[in-house]
Amino acid sequence: MIRFDGAAKRHPDGTVAVAGLDLEVPAGRITVLVGPSGCGKTTILRMVNRMVEPTSGRVLLDDTDVTRLPAAKLRRGIGYVIQQAGLFPHRRVIDNIATVPYLLGWERKKARARAAELLELVGLAPETAKRYPFQLSGGQQQRVGVARALAADPPVLLMDEPFSAVDPVVRAGLQEELLRLQGELNKTVLFVTHDIEEAVRLGDQVVVLREHGLIAQLADPHTLLTAPADESVAAFLGRDRGLRGLGLRSAAGVAVRPLTDTSQYGSWDLTREAEGRPANWLAPDGSTHPAPAFHPGTDTLRTALDAAVLSVAGLAVAVGPDGRAVGTADRAAVLAALADDRDRPVSTHGR
Amino acid sequence: MDGEPLVRWYWIGDHLAYLRDLALDHAVIALVPVLIGLLIAVPLGLTCARFPRLYQPLSAVFNVVYALPSLAVFVVLIPYTGLATRATVMVPLTCYAVAVLLPTTVDGLRAVPESVRQAATAMGYGPWHRLTAVELPASVPYLVSGLRVAAVSSISLAAVGALVGRGGLGYLFIDGFQRSFPTPIVAGIVLVAALALVTDLLLVLARRLLAPWAVREKGAAR
Repeated sequence: MIRFDGAAKRHPDGTVAVAGLDLEVPAGRITVLVGPSGCGKTTILRMVNRMVEPTSGRVLLDDTDVTRLPAAKLRRGIGYVIQQAGLFPHRRVIDNIATVPYLLGWERKKARARAAELLELVGLAPETAKRYPFQLSGGQQQRVGVARALAADPPVLLMDEPFSAVDPVVRAGLQEELLRLQGELNKTVLFVTHDIEEAVRLGDQVVVLREHGLIAQLADPHTLLTAPADESVAAFLGRDRGLRGLGLRSAAGVAVRPLTDTSQYGSWDLTREAEGRPANWLAPDGSTHPAPAFHPGTDTLRTALDAAVLSVAGLAVAVGPDGRAVGTADRAAVLAALADDRDRPVSTHGR
Repeated sequence: MDGEPLVRWYWIGDHLAYLRDLALDHAVIALVPVLIGLLIAVPLGLTCARFPRLYQPLSAVFNVVYALPSLAVFVVLIPYTGLATRATVMVPLTCYAVAVLLPTTVDGLRAVPESVRQAATAMGYGPWHRLTAVELPASVPYLVSGLRVAAVSSISLAAVGALVGRGGLGYLFIDGFQRSFPTPIVAGIVLVAALALVTDLLLVLARRLLAPWAVREKGAAR
């Protein structure tokens, strides 16, 4: 657990970066600091590994004031991932990942074996090991950055806008990967971003900051989206927050009618592929239209609603874990689930 | 030199061993100072990167040295190092090499991306350890470019040393001029150029070996 105890940072010229922060970052959870640029979020992050020393107050790591520990020793026990990855250009991927084990004096062989494990853990092919950073795409570099931060298995992970420099598709992949990893590793993660979507997607708790590192709201993502503390937080959350909040709720509550019950099909007919996957909606005039589908077990209400809205037949197809069509839900069924499910936020993080 | 052809091939044929010895002497006089200069400039550059306030005064000193005419420095050194000794020529050349290599070292260290520096610090490198284990290796391509400039200019400057009796191939210029006989002059020019070219190629090769990661031609290796 990380605890900020009135931690403040004033620069010598008198400007205040962080006015005084009280915050608990629970162990084994992802806490996201989100706010506009200049709100002091990176400064807060760096107080943890002493890249910034608080001018007053304390930062406690498992009840020990971090300033009591030698900086180098402290840092070797804290993973750190930054926006540009910051990989060492002259070292191959495998040796980049093994950096902290080398610093800790591990044998070369052991360090490299561990690095190879991590390469696999972050979803990179084994042949990537021998490449140099410049031979990797931005997304791959960021994966190596995450692997490097995890190499010595630190309990705490600091992430400073790690996915901001990659394109949206790659970013979504990296976010998913982080959640999968966290499901296995249960690190204490402090994650900084300016992207509220990312904050809501990744955080177990989200800390919305305003200037000078003041907390505007601290809440779980669902509460944040449905009950912003004030106008400024609501404005920061942006439009469609109600709709986006559906992305945090499970589609399990949607009443699905079995395929055999064709009463709601009207004049439409669902065609299926040989393996039973939904193919198309067949109109009376013989034209075919896409059949959007959702998986009630793992998808969110947002996906279910999206499928129902997109379907020209007005019906979202529900599929099982194997991709086979099992039933359908009309728009009314999805809307009923929204009302029904209002007070039961369901984490989509699989935890 | 009226009527004298530019090159008399028989003279070259008769003096092959002599030319080879001069070229080797020239290489030693010109390139050993560059190596010594490197050994001085790198620790100095690391110190300047660690304590940035040192850099301005130090680089000012070496720039002044660099501005001094080489011949004048050779002459000033004669009472201390002797006439026609290698040291008379090599000491100034070493200073010139440092004058070129110190800024390249410092620039190279500064050119390491801030993200790399921060990542290194965050992983627990102390300031010196980070400089020597991360920033210095990452600036090898810069260092080699500096070495190429220093080596080639040292090869050309070394010839001036002939005026104080120790100039390797530079001796051919004095000899040819005094005897109004252009063949040694032409041979000297060609050999100096060849020496510079070979040195440069070796350094490019060294860069490929030392920093294979820096060969980033457009569209290469993806």
